[in-house]
Amino acid sequence: MSEQVLRIKGLQKTYPNGVQALKGVSFDVKKGEFLVVIGLSGSGKSTLLRCLNRLHDPTGGEIFFYDQDVTKLQTSSEIRDLRKKIGMIFQHFNLIPRHTVLSNVLMGKLASTPTWKSMFGLFSDQDKEEAMKYLRLVGIADKAHIRADQLSGGQQQRVAIARALTQNPKVLLADEPVASLDPATCHTVMDYLRKVNQELGITIVCNLHFLSLVRQYATRVIALKGGELVYEGDPQNIDNAWFEKIYGAGAKEVHIN
Amino acid sequence: MKSYYVRRSLLDGVTFAIFVCVALSLILQPTEEQLLNLSMIAMIFGGAIVVGGLISHRLNMAGLKTMGENLFEPAYVKAKTEAKPWYQTFWGWHLFTTILVLFIVGLFKTKFSLYELLDEDGFAGAQRLFKGIFSPNWTVLPAAVLNIIETIFMAFMATFLAIPFAFVLSFLSAKNIMKHPAAYAVYMFLRTAMNVMRSIEALVWAIIFSVWVGIGPFAGMLALMIHSVASLTKQYSEMVETVYEGPIEGVQSCGANKLQTIWFAIVPQVVLPYISFTVYRWDINVRMATIIGLVGGGGIGTMLIKYQGQAMWPEVGTIIVVIAAVVWIMDQASAYIREALK
Repeated sequence: MSEQVLRIKGLQKTYPNGVQALKGVSFDVKKGEFLVVIGLSGSGKSTLLRCLNRLHDPTGGEIFFYDQDVTKLQTSSEIRDLRKKIGMIFQHFNLIPRHTVLSNVLMGKLASTPTWKSMFGLFSDQDKEEAMKYLRLVGIADKAHIRADQLSGGQQQRVAIARALTQNPKVLLADEPVASLDPATCHTVMDYLRKVNQELGITIVCNLHFLSLVRQYATRVIALKGGELVYEGDPQNIDNAWFEKIYGAGAKEVHIN
Repeated sequence: MKSYYVRRSLLDGVTFAIFVCVALSLILQPTEEQLLNLSMIAMIFGGAIVVGGLISHRLNMAGLKTMGENLFEPAYVKAKTEAKPWYQTFWGWHLFTTILVLFIVGLFKTKFSLYELLDEDGFAGAQRLFKGIFSPNWTVLPAAVLNIIETIFMAFMATFLAIPFAFVLSFLSAKNIMKHPAAYAVYMFLRTAMNVMRSIEALVWAIIFSVWVGIGPFAGMLALMIHSVASLTKQYSEMVETVYEGPIEGVQSCGANKLQTIWFAIVPQVVLPYISFTVYRWDINVRMATIIGLVGGGGIGTMLIKYQGQAMWPEVGTIIVVIAAVVWIMDQASAYIREALK
């Protein structure tokens, strides 16, 4: 039996405006897997991911990251310590547009650099070397000194992956990493995520829209609908019946090749 | 009770109170002494607001849409009824009457008089003045240049010294940063303080400081600085409030603390607008420094008031030329710089 990196138990999130985004979701994330979360927009996928690294505060349930209950963390330094171990990439990349690629990747070292040093940009040579290493891994090292907003969407997402890797995370959360990319670029980014997963052994939890991508990349899949877990299992077993259950009757599957 | 009802009733109440006061003064023809009885007037006006607010509420209940209702009603309420041309609506005539009454009262209050404007004696005086101004006495030019340099530096120092204060205060008075309850209290306090500081004209600050540090450019500079801190803080913090959340989330997910988040996710987004606002503020300050000189803030304004007091119009003409030239150059330069910063 493989080790569990994350154990989520009865996770609930109700927003201050009364919207119940998560209604008691439970599942485990095993070490080294590529877990994909699917579901319609508004099914609670993004909220789920943001609860895992406490970008959002859950309103109920438990999240165990190894032996630590994430939901019990109180002080901001404890939460920062958690985020340091969990990398995240986003649908809109969330880079700093006016900074260079390298400077963006070095953000991954913010948590382990004294505040004043980081504010003057005084990152150690070792940190810079590490940042370059991960830029090479995602094949974009030659763009290190270009401003991030001059890159294409796919390149920006690769910079974001390098930034997350520079944190040396145990888990990488990916919130719709390819939703704003074209189909070809989409596969490039997904391939790099698989590389990160297989070569570096980093566990990945990824939100996706397209089932074709899910079947191709996921080792396991869970599905959310209206804030509840409706499916958990092998991506190959999602047949039409399950598809309609997750996405609603009459939904058509769109393929991306 | 919906919250916009208060705003609606207040606006309608005030318009009603204005009608009542105008009607009363027409009917009763009050004397000067009666008009100076502030508590009496305030009671009438306040009472009329309350009555007007109640009338407005009744009218709206009866389906007649008042001006306040039309202005403040939420979009979803507005969408329920068909839009009619303004002259077929109650609120249209309400607005029309209000503007008409304000205009007529305004004519009396400003003692608007075509007779004075076209009076021959007065016109001759203006002609003398213009003739003097348009034949400048260039012998005062060196002194004028020297003085306007003083004015420019007053404006420069006021802007420069305001930057660090405004920079720090802008983050403390941005709603999206000050979410924590304790921080929100600081935010509310700072916002109120800045609004008060801004609503006191630089001219008034100049009077205060000329008593404090003595008449001269230092007092003028301090006055402009206070005003600049308040204005820049407001403009800066509005920029902070409109930054994209994305980079903030991105940097936070890396484990950044509050200071790092502001520095790396917010500052890069606001630095260009900050510079742009600052250059514009310097430009504004040059113009304001001129006016502040009129009350003893030093610089070209003080020189202007001196010659104006002695009706030496050719000298005044020279000074106006110098001011106009500098203001125009500053205006153009700051426009070019701000354009380039985009």
